[in-house]
Amino acid sequence: MEGSDENLVKDYLDGDDGAFKRLLDKYTSSVYNFSFRFVGADNANDVVQDVFIKVWKNLKKFNSEKSQFKTWLFTIARNTITDYLRKKKMVLFSSLDKEEEDFVDSLESEDFLPDEDFIRLEDKNTLNKLLNQIPENYKEILILHYQEDMTFNEIGKLMKKPLNTVKSYHRRALIKLKDITHQN
Amino acid sequence: MEKNLQKLFKQASYTPESRLSGDIWKVIEYKKNHISKINLLKYMILGVLSLSGSIFSIKILIEQLSKLGFFDYLSLVFSDSGIIVTYWKEYIMTLAESLPIFSLNLSFFLLFILFISIRKMSYQFKQKLLLA
Repeated sequence: MEGSDENLVKDYLDGDDGAFKRLLDKYTSSVYNFSFRFVGADNANDVVQDVFIKVWKNLKKFNSEKSQFKTWLFTIARNTITDYLRKKKMVLFSSLDKEEEDFVDSLESEDFLPDEDFIRLEDKNTLNKLLNQIPENYKEILILHYQEDMTFNEIGKLMKKPLNTVKSYHRRALIKLKDITHQN
Repeated sequence: MEKNLQKLFKQASYTPESRLSGDIWKVIEYKKNHISKINLLKYMILGVLSLSGSIFSIKILIEQLSKLGFFDYLSLVFSDSGIIVTYWKEYIMTLAESLPIFSLNLSFFLLFILFISIRKMSYQFKQKLLLA
């Protein structure tokens, strides 16, 4: 626990201001990267600032027994982005929910992306361009899982979805990514 | 596949400007300072109001205590303590009856508010000193 996020939160609440600064330094890049993919470069800085101000204001409400700090932080980031997109009348994370409820998981569990696709995606710009073409919910899962190393369980808590739904989203996301890779 | 995808996604990360976290910290410090100023002002007003209220209510309390004869009964302790030892139960009852309950409660309540606002004010001062 020494030096963990939960300890830093506790230290800050006990009066150590530097503890929050350390959390801020640790997660600015992750939250920025996550926000960037949904709101774009022009608005990512403002969204990240809003996220951390909300975190700072609500830090007393954080319960380390209920969730990890990172999951809590990304839940706030997700809600902030949703609010932002709602204000801009853009696509929301929940836009696919209805469609996904009816989804029957009949996909095979073999590797979705063969080696040639990996080679194609190795170019940073190509992957980012392709990610922008897949639905927000799918994109969210891929980013949280592969970039932020979050487990499907943590993602489920964050998205308030059952584990199986998250796994289904993940599979569909990979298939979509594969399809788009081939189309391009 | 999992490892390869992780590698791909990490390569494709967007990096924020290096000053972003510093800028956010400045905004948080500014907000903290602002909240601290507002709280200080709030508790100062509360402190002044409760202090003047306490003075006023204590003045009324003393007046009522003397009107109801509380001080006369109390002085018996020094002048005729023998009677008090004999009739101590009756004496305590009389003393209690001569207390102006409302004024007493009001004075204690206002003194309590004054104490709380002084405590909160000193905390806010400490916060401001830390932020300075």
